[in-house]
This record gives sequence, C-alpha cells and structure tokens, in this order.
Amino acid sequence: MRVFYQTFGRVKKKFSSLLSRFFKKKRTRIGIYGPPNAGKTTLANRIARDWTGDAVGPVSEIPHETRRSRKKEDILISGANGATVTIDIVDTPGVTTRIDYHEFLEFGLDKDEAIIRAREATEGVAEAMHWLREDIDGVIYMLDSTLDPFLQVNIMMVGIIESRNLPVLIVANKIDLPNAAPARIRSAFPQHPVIPISSLGGKNVEELYEMMIERFG
Amino acid sequence: MPHKCTKCGREYRDGSTEILKGCESCGGKKFLYVKDSELHKDILEEKSIEEIAQETKEQVLEVRTVQKKEVEMYDRVETIRIVGPGSYELNIEKMAKGDERVISVGKEGVYNIDLLSFAKDSKKKRSKRK
Repeated sequence: MRVFYQTFGRVKKKFSSLLSRFFKKKRTRIGIYGPPNAGKTTLANRIARDWTGDAVGPVSEIPHETRRSRKKEDILISGANGATVTIDIVDTPGVTTRIDYHEFLEFGLDKDEAIIRAREATEGVAEAMHWLREDIDGVIYMLDSTLDPFLQVNIMMVGIIESRNLPVLIVANKIDLPNAAPARIRSAFPQHPVIPISSLGGKNVEELYEMMIERFG
Repeated sequence: MPHKCTKCGREYRDGSTEILKGCESCGGKKFLYVKDSELHKDILEEKSIEEIAQETKEQVLEVRTVQKKEVEMYDRVETIRIVGPGSYELNIEKMAKGDERVISVGKEGVYNIDLLSFAKDSKKKRSKRK
C-alpha cells in the first residue's frame, strides 16, 4: 500500500509539474518601476484591491517607503471586451542614483532611523535591479506627472528596459494634482504608450487595465 | 605692460596674480601680453585679439589649471558609492548588468569588493527557479 502511495505521489508530482510547465508561462510577471514617491505601491495596492481584494504594502509620503520588493501573484485582469490577462505584480523600491539620509530628516525621522532607511533603500534598489534582470516579463514605468520627466534616472531606466526587450507601459501618475503635466511625459517618451492616471483617486485606471491586457496579454 | 584676455578683452595689469585663476569676467584662460601703446588697438582698429597677437608676434599666455575630470557614472567601477554614513550613490546601469557588487567607501580609490557576489553562477540560479 505504501509503495502505491509513493508511486502515486510521484506520478502526481510529475503530472503537475508537466501541467505547470505548459501553463506557467501564461502568467506574466509585471514589475512596477519608477523613481521614489511616484506612487508605485499605491498603484500596486489599487490593482490588487480591484482584482483580488488584498493590499500589497504600506504607503507614505516619505520617499523610499518600499525598501523590499513585494509580489502579489495570480491577479486576473479582465477587460471590457472579455479579454483577460493573469499577472503577478511586483512592487519594487524606487530606483534612484542618489540616496541621502538628510532627505528623510525633513519628514521628521530621527538621524539613526534615517540612516537605516537610506541603507535599506540602497539594498532595495539593488534588489529591484536584480528582479529586472532575472525575473520580469513586462514593466510598468511609473512617473510623477508633476515633476520633470527628463531626469537621467528615467532616461537610463527606460533605456535599460528597452535593451532587455521588455514590453513597457509608462504611467503618468498624480494627474489629480493641479500642476500635473502628463503631456510632458508623453513628449519625453514618444516611443512608448503613456497612460495618465491617478492611482490614489482611481482616475483613468480602466484605461490602464485595457492597455495592460493589450501589452502584457 | 598689461595682459588682455583673448576672449573678452578685459585688461589686467602686469604681474597680476588674478589671471592665474582665469579671467574674472568670462573665465577665459588665455591672455595676451600687450604693449601700453597698443592697449586699445583692439577697440580703436576693430581688431580681434588674435590679430593683434599675430601683429605683435607676442605669445598668447595660457593659464593651465589642473582640471578635475568628472568620471561619468557609467564609467565608474563601483556599483554603490558610500559618500558618508546614510548617503549613497548608486550606479543603476552597473546594477542592471549583473549582481556583482563593488562598493567604494568615502574617499576616492577605496573599494570593497563582494567576492561572493562575483562567484555566483547566474545560469544555475535560473535553472533552479524552474
């Protein structure tokens, strides 16, 4: 009897690995990248809440709130015309070329806390880049539309994503703010689709979902 | 006998040490030694300072300053530069290429190399995940 269970277990394992090999590739792993404080986690939370009811991580006004990449798996997004896409969302720490703890002091953090935050944020960037290299099938590049998009980091990151031949969607976030200029982002990256949204207010996210199905499906 | 900046024509009296830092008006580094009698020739005869230099056969004096060459981010060897405690400069282009970590600390030319990160086999990692 025991032998039977063992063989049965082995067969089952083989069968399921065979199945997963066929079906696994259908799940696209989407990384949300962008500079700190662009609203990456807010968007990840919105996507996860809209389609699964869960949240991904905490958000705050202090830059580098997300210092470890967080993953939410198996999110099924369906569009108006019935098309669907199943994705894993990876919320990544904000990528930047300079991290200084003084920046955090302005938000009321004490010095020790700020220094630890800076160190963790640095590790976070390294981790985000590791994900980009190894395990990402598509990228949502998120920008704050109230800020200048022509920053070296943005140009460099979009260049890196392009060189890896990953499909990319550029999201111009925070369009609910009065000084938002999503058109500036559009002119900065004319080679990619740019979707202006407000991930906090949920403005225009439907268009983003449609575009995600189109680009990542 | 004064010096004249070849760029903007500003005059400096003879033996002036100010020119060693470059012209105060335009930052020019080249100066021509002009005779007092020819001091205003460039304006009166509408000549460029180069032309006067040719006429008087006087050598143009160049102030040489050792320029600190700014190394472009992507040419740098380190992935992370620790400027001070809690202050970092990240080389994301280098990070995009591999997991190897070279960390430079404080003053220029001091590096920490994470040898273990160099030894990892990325192909092995990839096959493991499947």
